[in-house]
Amino acid sequence: MELKEQLKAQIIEQLNLEDLTTADIKNDAPLFGDEGLGLDSIDALEFIVLLDSEYSIKIDDPSLAREIFYSIDSMADFIESNK
Amino acid sequence: MDIFITGYGVISAIGNNVEENLNNLIQEKTAIKQGLRNFSSKFKVGEIPYTNEELRSEFNLKTEGSRTALLGMVAAKEAFLNHELFDHVKTGLISGTSVGGMDTTEEEYKKYLKGDRVNYKNYFNHPSGTTSAQIASELGISGFVNTISTACSSAANAIMMGARLIRSGYLDRVIVGGTDSLTQFTIFGFRSLMIFDDEWCKPFDNSRKGLNLGEGAGYIVLESQKSIQTTGKIALAKLTGWSNASDAFHQTASSPDGDGAVLSMNQALQVAGLKPNDINYVNAHGTATPNNDLSESKALIKIFNGKVPPFSSTKSYTGHTLAASGGIESVYAVLSIQNKILFPNLNHTAPIEETGLIPIKRIEKNMEVNHVLSNSFGFGGNNSTLIFSKK
Amino acid sequence: MYYIHKVASITHQNSFLQNDINALLVEITEGSVLFAPDYKKYVLPSSLRRLSPILRMAVAVAKECQEAINTPFEAISIGTALGCLTDTEKFLNVVNTVEGDILSPTSFIQSTHNTISGLISLELKNHSYNMTHTQNNISFEMALIDSILCCDEGKSFVLLGAADEGIEFLNKLKPIVISKDAFVTSGATFFALSKIKSNAEIGIVACQAKLNKVSIDSEINSFLGNLQIDSAAIDIVYSNCLTEHFPSEKMIHYEKFSGLYFTSNAFGVHMAHDWLIEQSKKYALVVNSSCEGGIGLILLRNDKAQD
Repeated sequence: MELKEQLKAQIIEQLNLEDLTTADIKNDAPLFGDEGLGLDSIDALEFIVLLDSEYSIKIDDPSLAREIFYSIDSMADFIESNK
Repeated sequence: MDIFITGYGVISAIGNNVEENLNNLIQEKTAIKQGLRNFSSKFKVGEIPYTNEELRSEFNLKTEGSRTALLGMVAAKEAFLNHELFDHVKTGLISGTSVGGMDTTEEEYKKYLKGDRVNYKNYFNHPSGTTSAQIASELGISGFVNTISTACSSAANAIMMGARLIRSGYLDRVIVGGTDSLTQFTIFGFRSLMIFDDEWCKPFDNSRKGLNLGEGAGYIVLESQKSIQTTGKIALAKLTGWSNASDAFHQTASSPDGDGAVLSMNQALQVAGLKPNDINYVNAHGTATPNNDLSESKALIKIFNGKVPPFSSTKSYTGHTLAASGGIESVYAVLSIQNKILFPNLNHTAPIEETGLIPIKRIEKNMEVNHVLSNSFGFGGNNSTLIFSKK
Repeated sequence: MYYIHKVASITHQNSFLQNDINALLVEITEGSVLFAPDYKKYVLPSSLRRLSPILRMAVAVAKECQEAINTPFEAISIGTALGCLTDTEKFLNVVNTVEGDILSPTSFIQSTHNTISGLISLELKNHSYNMTHTQNNISFEMALIDSILCCDEGKSFVLLGAADEGIEFLNKLKPIVISKDAFVTSGATFFALSKIKSNAEIGIVACQAKLNKVSIDSEINSFLGNLQIDSAAIDIVYSNCLTEHFPSEKMIHYEKFSGLYFTSNAFGVHMAHDWLIEQSKKYALVVNSSCEGGIGLILLRNDKAQD
């Protein structure tokens, strides 16, 4: 599976986004805030867990999370460049 | 109606009793260091250097219980030392705790997951209400016993509840405060939130990273005038203001401008009938997390109209003792009034850029301390403020 | 008198938003499930996804209480004996099974007892006094006593609630910590309480709760004695324990309908409330006692009923 599709599935699973399918998440749309999926700072921490458990990438500074996890595109870029 | 404080007791990493706590506060000695137990040894914590068995024998405790209950017994017994029970003085206990008997539960649950032999009887200790019942039993108190569990504001809320029950005539005298022991559950929990500092915490510092956890218990005895006439106790200080308000912003984070904190400080001043500039010292919640300290600073600036009185976070000595913090810091507030001293905020080098507020950095003696404001804020946006005044 | 302007329960009974729940009561049997509403009507999907059963139940009944009164609550007081057990157990599993430093925080955040009242303040956008009491089987009484204080202090409407959550693990504690025949489950009952009467008919006269093990009979005597009410004047008693203080035809064992959770007496109050209206009777007493915990007594009165 392509990385971005895989990420979407993992996000739906990790965050219990039971009403969403991968098709509902656009690659360039913001994940946080009311314009996006409505995710918040707790979800940002869950993303850090996801990156650690699925991609063995550690993020020590949670204040970077919002930028890294802005969208599926930015997350995928970050994963690619930190593999 | 006056609410008198006629007893206090505390156990924390900086001391087994009020006197030891006071001495270490004055000597600017933190007790936060590498932990002693399996789950705490990798971190800097404010741990009490006794095993449960040592606590029982050192402090002559007769009642069985979780570590949280044992710590509570030590501090509550000191607070109630030289107090007697009288038939016509309605006496209660209200204790705050967030973990309750989690220290025994997590041990048992670990065995259960591993498939080891388990002793289900140990789950008797789990409920937070049982923690208070065990403390009450050690003190010989029956009748009104209650537990408040609002995370890190629990003890402050227990103190507030006690004051309101006295004011309404429901009780004449009440032992109030809180207790929490260090657990793997809470250490791992705060790490999962990534607000844990692996070095010494730096409340109100621009480079603060997060908190150090601690354990302990702190209680004060509240009495009405009518109660004092029977008990003959001499007041150490008075509790004059209290309030609780909701931030209603986020499950864990404080609102950027500290709306809930502003509400609770404002209302506590109203209850006390005081103006902001009557306050001589603020014992801040000051956990040293980036979010709390900024939000609390902004709330302080708003309440005091830019002229924030001397303030500090004593969590730089004890670590954040969660539900116990409001109890321990209430004892410190009374000590500040009694001894005319203001406690410093350790590890501070540079003020937070956005606010420029500088806390007390060295112990200040011979100060006029008439009124102390103490903040305790908990998860779920639970904000509490207490005001202590010279008797 | 502290009038009940609204009561809402989610239990094993068809109790949610019914006018007279007593007509619908069925004794709980093995396999019985909670009557839950569609929670999407109460919480946005973006918030709902995280919420454990106790949080969903509590938010739904809290919102129904808010809906019933036109003004924001001036205080929120909640009793829970064991708090958010689903998330507590979940995080215990995380702590013990995940290797390394990075742990999922959501269950920890939602494991504290005041997650319930905190979430309600968020959902109702309510900035007022917000308290969580936990004193084993008398947790609801403690929240009620606080609510009464709030009303006496001049707060107009108080949201009073009780919620507890059963998890499968509790069954392992039988018969050592929990009695072996108990049907361990969950439930939530919330009230909009006020000294203002307006359209309300039923109110809570008084509540007494004690931790120590005293005899139920002497507690009832002193409670009713202080209120100067004769035992014979009590029309119905909802109880979870045996007492010979009242004739058996006046006694209803509420736990048969609620199942076992340590704040189920709040559902007893709900049953008593509906019964007094339906029967046009004056007094109902809710008696709550367990061998491990304390004794709680709550007296309700119907203002419309004749003596």
